[in-house]
Amino acid sequence: MSSFYSRAAFLAGVRDMTPPLIGMLPFGLVCGVGAQSAGASVWESFGLSALMFSGAAQILATQLVAAGAPVAVTILTCFIVGLRFLMYSAAMAPHLKGLPPAWRNAMAFLLTDQAFAAGMRRFREKNDTRDGASYFLGGGLLLWSTWQVFCLAGFVAGNVIPAAWSLEFAVPLCFIGLLVPVLRDGPTRVAALTAGFAVVALDALPMRLSLICAGLVGIAAGMIAETRRRPR
Amino acid sequence: MSSAIAWWTVIVVVGALNYLSRLSFIAIFARIEIPPSVSRALRFVPAAMLTAIVVPAVVFIAPGTTSLSLTNPKLVAALVATFLAWRFKSATITMVAGMVTLWLAQWLVRLYG
Repeated sequence: MSSFYSRAAFLAGVRDMTPPLIGMLPFGLVCGVGAQSAGASVWESFGLSALMFSGAAQILATQLVAAGAPVAVTILTCFIVGLRFLMYSAAMAPHLKGLPPAWRNAMAFLLTDQAFAAGMRRFREKNDTRDGASYFLGGGLLLWSTWQVFCLAGFVAGNVIPAAWSLEFAVPLCFIGLLVPVLRDGPTRVAALTAGFAVVALDALPMRLSLICAGLVGIAAGMIAETRRRPR
Repeated sequence: MSSAIAWWTVIVVVGALNYLSRLSFIAIFARIEIPPSVSRALRFVPAAMLTAIVVPAVVFIAPGTTSLSLTNPKLVAALVATFLAWRFKSATITMVAGMVTLWLAQWLVRLYG
């Protein structure tokens, strides 16, 4: 392990991940509040944040369980929302080629929207596998441990946080922060617009199936727009 | 199904599926190239799925009722947050300014709405 570990890069990763934690706090609290109000025990809430380690999946899982949706629908919805990790994994993979499997397995576990963004920036700047991996682990471990604290705090403080604060709005805000930077070209904007209209139009579908359907319609629209732009 | 079994089924299965998604290409890249059709589709997953999560949380003011007017504080805050996310590319600024805008807009709507 030591031959791949760079203490300086690890600490730089920790340092650079600290400011974004402020933005993650309301989102983590909302995830904890959601688990509490959906009737989860404190261990179930911890399981959600520790093993899923994805705010979007945690929120959807608690909403669907609270609404009495079948377990299979809950799992499918969370899985489809998590498909973006496939894309992150693909983008990250070339940079991790020289690493031992244990490093890659650990880094995969810590792969989130924020850690991906920070890690890819570092890989592009330094183009150094050893540096980038330690940097990613530093930021990823800080994010994972802080996320557990935020979610637990939300679970405990669930009844105390006034409804007038509208803390649940932290969820769309977090995703706006992730969404806007990916809308870089025409086809991705077409995909987003189509998904946005579709999710409202399909709102009457039960068990939030509108989310999966709108997502798939949006992806299809993006692919069609891309094909039209570059005819082969 | 008892609630504990339902919770842990969801936690373990989604946890495992999420981990496999995260590990997928990192683990197999050495042996398998990503099929072009798959990477073409995956490119649109964040744009489509994130929008599908954001839009209902912004435009619905009650179950089944949408509001696209500026008297909807969530819409105002989302528009401001979108502009700030584009301008500053910072999740933290987007989050903090978005919440503050929401509170201001709620207050104004209560005063004059």
